[in-house]
Amino acid sequence: MKKFLALMKVSVKSMLLSSTNSRGRSKKKAASGAGVILLIAFLGLYMSGMYSSMLMSVLAPAHMEVLVFIFMGMGALAGGLLFTTFAVKGVVFGGKDNNLLLSMPVSSTALMTSRVSAIYLENLLVSLFVLGPAGVVCAFMTQSGVGRDPLFWVRLLIAVLALPLLDTALSVLFGALVAFLSAKVSKGALGQNIIMGVYLAAVFYFSFNLNGMIEGLAANAAGVKESLSWAAPMLWMADGIMGNWGLLLAFAACCIVPFALVVFGLGRVYRKAVTAFAARSARNDYRLSAQSASGQKKALLCMEARRFFGIPMYFWNSGLGLIMLVAMGVAALVMREELRMYLGLLEGLPAMPLAALVMGFCLSMTVIAAPSISLEGKYLWILREAPVGEGTLLGLKTGFELLFSIPCTVIAGACIAIALGLPLWQGAALVAVTLLFAAGHAAFGTLIGLAFPKLDAVNETVVVKQSMAVMLGTFVPMAALGLCALLYWLGGMVNGALALALPAVLLAALTAVCAAILAKRGPAMLKAL
Amino acid sequence: MLRIEHYSKTYPGGKKAVDDLTLHVRPGEIYGFIGHNGAGKTTTLRACAGVMDFTEGTITIDGHDVKKDPVGAKRVTAFLPDNPDLYEFMKGIDYLNFIADLYDIPADQRTKDIGRFGDAFELTGSLGSPIGSYSHGMRQKLALISAFIRHPRLLILDEPFVGLDPSASHIMKGYLAELCRGGSAVFFSTHVLEVAEKLCHQIAIIKDGRLVKCGPTEALVGDSSLEDVFLELEGEK
Repeated sequence: MKKFLALMKVSVKSMLLSSTNSRGRSKKKAASGAGVILLIAFLGLYMSGMYSSMLMSVLAPAHMEVLVFIFMGMGALAGGLLFTTFAVKGVVFGGKDNNLLLSMPVSSTALMTSRVSAIYLENLLVSLFVLGPAGVVCAFMTQSGVGRDPLFWVRLLIAVLALPLLDTALSVLFGALVAFLSAKVSKGALGQNIIMGVYLAAVFYFSFNLNGMIEGLAANAAGVKESLSWAAPMLWMADGIMGNWGLLLAFAACCIVPFALVVFGLGRVYRKAVTAFAARSARNDYRLSAQSASGQKKALLCMEARRFFGIPMYFWNSGLGLIMLVAMGVAALVMREELRMYLGLLEGLPAMPLAALVMGFCLSMTVIAAPSISLEGKYLWILREAPVGEGTLLGLKTGFELLFSIPCTVIAGACIAIALGLPLWQGAALVAVTLLFAAGHAAFGTLIGLAFPKLDAVNETVVVKQSMAVMLGTFVPMAALGLCALLYWLGGMVNGALALALPAVLLAALTAVCAAILAKRGPAMLKAL
Repeated sequence: MLRIEHYSKTYPGGKKAVDDLTLHVRPGEIYGFIGHNGAGKTTTLRACAGVMDFTEGTITIDGHDVKKDPVGAKRVTAFLPDNPDLYEFMKGIDYLNFIADLYDIPADQRTKDIGRFGDAFELTGSLGSPIGSYSHGMRQKLALISAFIRHPRLLILDEPFVGLDPSASHIMKGYLAELCRGGSAVFFSTHVLEVAEKLCHQIAIIKDGRLVKCGPTEALVGDSSLEDVFLELEGEK
């Protein structure tokens, strides 16, 4: 037990330090890391609360609050799977310290369990952020008063603790499959990208049809519950939270048993699995033909592209914002009649600034440049040794993000402008202001990557999902968007032109400041790493 | 070829890794750099390669000041760290082309050299596989090929024999000699004193960041062996 606790401490500490990036040295960095985690918690709670209250307002009058917990439980399960399945490959099976720890006198089951505990903690956070707000909403909106019973909170707590066990078991199984495919299939990255693409397409479909689904729910809530018999554990969880202890215990058992089976089953073959997933033998059939040459800059950009498309975790986490941006633009164009009708209902709503805000939100989630320096990690010596100036390297890393964000912004901006029927000058302003934001975002990303490098990460997952640079590279631009919205509102008190000019001036100033700092101090910061 | 003048490196916290080191490597020389663990060998090699910044002294390579003209210095240098981590998401051939592009090596020359060095190190057949599937020795060989195809004026190697099989070590020694016959120079660190004694024209011994002895191998070793000289200087004999 002592050994297991020591191993678990290492896994959890490694996960926490990967977020705060402090390595226990800088209180300032640790504090800002904790601040970012709190911000994520707030955003998670806010979004979950919003969806819970939307569902509850429709279902509570029909006394079908149970459906809220079924859907939020499914959301937590799907969200957890999305966040952790690909992390399993790196954290559980591909840790750089596997050789060290496997050589120690500890059982492979204990080692596997300690690794899985880090995944469980991540799923626990998702479960807490999703089911917690649903509970709060239930306490305020339910008509039966069940949410105000202290035992309701005990039952909810049991569900919050149990659900991540099921999530973790499934994540580990799917993660093992991903690790196996990566090791055995030559185009493993392509396969993973296709799986993630299909998953996201389903999420987009669900999101775009959410309103229709909720309206349908209100009309036939009981029928919907009946039709969800295939998701029996979720039904048991929801009924359990609402008061059925027997079903709650059945749900808990449904989570504990698969978790135990996966942990102890895979634990017994952990050493074998780690070996199999790592063992990719080089082929010996390559025949050298005439090679072609290209320039330095093209070579560096191609290297960035190989990394971006070759590491699915990087591609999906960092490119998700752009996918959403283009999907939103195309969807707006396809559903322009509904969109215009909806905007017509909300009379006086400023369509162009709102579109710019939403596009900016998507661009904020495009964190390609921010993790780029940290992803160099152990390979940084290659670039340092190369006859390329630091300024050029940083310019290329920033340019690589712009290579994707500029065309996506132009496409989405044009689609949205057409869909909303904006006058030409407004359409041009929409594209121009979002391009300005994209440029500032890329420069800020590279700068923040230099300021908060994570060069010793055990794998790319840690850098892309949990590093400080990625979190700040996402949320600081979102905060800048908030500031723009505030300036728009303040300017609107004077006149419409000022309302549009103030955010644009702020964005231009922020972009210029980021670009200037990057150009002036960036090379020295890179040299000092 | 390589001139290190009064070079010092102090780490944050005040620990002096290297103190007032002056050392010259002439064209055509293989220069061995030996010392115990933590003596300052790697710190010096990394500073010469432009991988690590330093505050005191000057380092020039083929007339290029590493601080004032880093790109010019790097253009004529190839550096191999003790454990060369190479992009695992690339295939071996892609990595070699990437390096060749960074050094503006023409297409026909790179094709010829990749074939020549790849065949010599028995790696050509594996160049189509991802580097992630390579063994430690194969990565070491690939890193060596990427250095040789540059035809550097100065080759800096940190513990180059670690991980290489005897046959690859032998081939590497042959190419080092060939490089020096062409007027280039090699500056490398090693703990394998027998190899250093046989291979190097000049040897420098560093202890606690300070140069304790340097000179032509024959003069330094005399009638004794390099191992005896080294242990004596280290106060272990």
